[in-house]
Amino acid sequence: MTLRVSRRNFVAGSAALLSLSALGTSALAQETRLRLLWWGSQPRADRTNKVSQLYQSKNPGTSITGEFLGWGDYWPRLATQVAGRNAPDVIQMDYRYIVQYARRGALAPLESYMPAKLNLDDFDKAQIEGGSVDGHLYGVSLGANSAATVLNTTAFKEAGVDLPTQATTWDEFARMGAEITKAGKRKGMFGLADGSGGEPLFENWLRQRGKALYTADGKIAFDVDDASEWYDMWAKFRAAGACVPADIQALDKNDIETNTVSLGKAAAGFAHSNQFVAYQAMNKDKLALTNYMRIKPDSKGGHYRKPSMFFSVSAQSKSIDQAVDYINFFVKNPEAVLLLDVERGIPESAAMREVVAAKLDDNGKVALAYVSGLGDLAGKLPPPPPAGAGEGELMLRNIAEQVGFGQLSPSDGGKQLVTEITQILARG
Amino acid sequence: MSNAMRTPAGAITVERYQGAVAEGRFRRLWNANAPGYLFLLPWLIGFFGLTLGPALISLYLSFTDFDMLQSPRWVGMANYVRIATADPKFSAAMHVTLTYVVFSVPFKLTFALLVAMALNRGLRGLPIYRAIFYLPSLLGGSVAIAVLWRQLFASDGLVNAALAQIGIEGPSWISHPNYSIYTLVALSVWQFGSPMIIFLAGLRQIPQDMYEAASLDGASKFRQFYKITLPLLTPVIFFNAVVQTIEAFKAFTPAFIISGGTGGPINSTLFYTLYLYQEAFGNFRMGYASALAWILVVIIAIFTAFSFLSSRYWVHYDD
Repeated sequence: MTLRVSRRNFVAGSAALLSLSALGTSALAQETRLRLLWWGSQPRADRTNKVSQLYQSKNPGTSITGEFLGWGDYWPRLATQVAGRNAPDVIQMDYRYIVQYARRGALAPLESYMPAKLNLDDFDKAQIEGGSVDGHLYGVSLGANSAATVLNTTAFKEAGVDLPTQATTWDEFARMGAEITKAGKRKGMFGLADGSGGEPLFENWLRQRGKALYTADGKIAFDVDDASEWYDMWAKFRAAGACVPADIQALDKNDIETNTVSLGKAAAGFAHSNQFVAYQAMNKDKLALTNYMRIKPDSKGGHYRKPSMFFSVSAQSKSIDQAVDYINFFVKNPEAVLLLDVERGIPESAAMREVVAAKLDDNGKVALAYVSGLGDLAGKLPPPPPAGAGEGELMLRNIAEQVGFGQLSPSDGGKQLVTEITQILARG
Repeated sequence: MSNAMRTPAGAITVERYQGAVAEGRFRRLWNANAPGYLFLLPWLIGFFGLTLGPALISLYLSFTDFDMLQSPRWVGMANYVRIATADPKFSAAMHVTLTYVVFSVPFKLTFALLVAMALNRGLRGLPIYRAIFYLPSLLGGSVAIAVLWRQLFASDGLVNAALAQIGIEGPSWISHPNYSIYTLVALSVWQFGSPMIIFLAGLRQIPQDMYEAASLDGASKFRQFYKITLPLLTPVIFFNAVVQTIEAFKAFTPAFIISGGTGGPINSTLFYTLYLYQEAFGNFRMGYASALAWILVVIIAIFTAFSFLSSRYWVHYDD
């Protein structure tokens, strides 16, 4: 079958096509398209999409498409998109990965937009530095949080144990844990989660000893004695029944759903302050937040206020100006900030913090009060972790499990951790 | 052809003549087969674009250092050297994977054969049973089933609740390094559907009169199974064993879900493909992961070749 087109039809058709394509280009020329990518759950997506709609209504001609994934799926997707020259314009970035992405040229430096288009004047200086790599700003912090202990206050009360205070030491906390386990008010519940494989906990403990995980130039900043003592402390807690046994702790996949507190296996567990709202939503008992314990009554400086996550702009983006404008709107527009609440952490802008504080519900207030009330427990933000820090975190946990299951002694565990992390960092 | 022969000498050379014939043959072939190639086109595009192309690229990448953000840097054999000499996680992953292959394949095939023989006895409503038994295999690779499995074998899960009924205190199956791999083996055995269907088809091929003759001669059921069923089924057993071994080497989803992507506790569920995935997407070492992938290809090829060589001695094809 052949298709015959008469000359008249051909002319008419071409004219229609031409006018259509003209329409198309003019529409495209006016419309800026922004693509967003972030990790998180549905509630975060709802908040983010509402802010995007608000932005579109105030900036006609801008269309925003947002996509979100869980933490585990997020990083493979982002890496693949960047490699395929198909990166989203606005990228949610984590403190752990910002150096890697910035040094490899995947992110656009933003300092030239300040202060005219990107106004971070009333941000905490330390948090702006947190988003900087080699003197350039690559990420705008979306909120501050801090590592925290989550307490099941109902379980503490049932066992007749007082809640820990800001002055409680690890030894005292372990005694409380053992008492709760011994009281046995709930079947299968222990006092504390086993924190030996938790990187934020280990880092906090190291900082109280005046050490750190990594130096600013990406070397290991603790030694065998530190690591051995750390594993030894938890081995003693385990032996005393203060914390859950290793096979229970191994259920924890490092998320809210499988934390031993959410599973009802421990009365106290370890998390981050901006997760409190989600923790409370998952637990029938009343929860509270407190700091990580002190190693000595007079030790300080273990905690820090951490940028919970950043917005970065892709270096491949064709509309960097628009992306910067969107980010500025995201962190500085009162209506947007109210929609976002403290779900991504406490706003960094002092003015926006006041806007949010006035409207917070009880759970939001807990997180805000905790982060702003750390006092002498909060110290300086450590430098961004080097490439390989993700592997180091898995290694800390892996060896903690070997010690927990009795396959390694705490002192051998300490030796092995230092050796492995040194090798990982050397490989880069 | 005869027309060409009759043209005056010198006007056409042998080469030109042969070329013309070849061209004509090609054109005829093309005319006859064009629709076939046209219909094959989607598959051809898929094969070259999505299978062969990426495979060759990954072979190239396996000789490079590639972090997906910058362009690949040629490092020669360095990745392979590190795998062979300085990677304890590679041997850990290999150990886990081989354990899985060695336990899951024989158990799965035995179980599949037993169920197939039970179903072969002319059951009423056979298609329904077949469908029900096949279901786990269909769902098998899915995330939902792995999550369900995690629930079943948790320390306070259904399995331990059942054990408690008979007075046994079960361990936490999925979070103890001594047991976690065997929960994954059990999950794989449970997905016996596809070898079972193939066994069923194989059993149907065995002529009934052989059994009748054997029972007239007084052979017991066991002897009939051993002397008739098994030998005649060896081609099917062979096929299933090869396919299931390859599948087992490639297992990924259950370990990924049950360990939360960590391969823990203590690398006890660090399947080879899971380690490969961690290296590629967790640690941005796409070059190294490509080398790992090619090593897996070679290992699977060796296993398969070995199966084919050994098959001469135990697989009977008699028609």
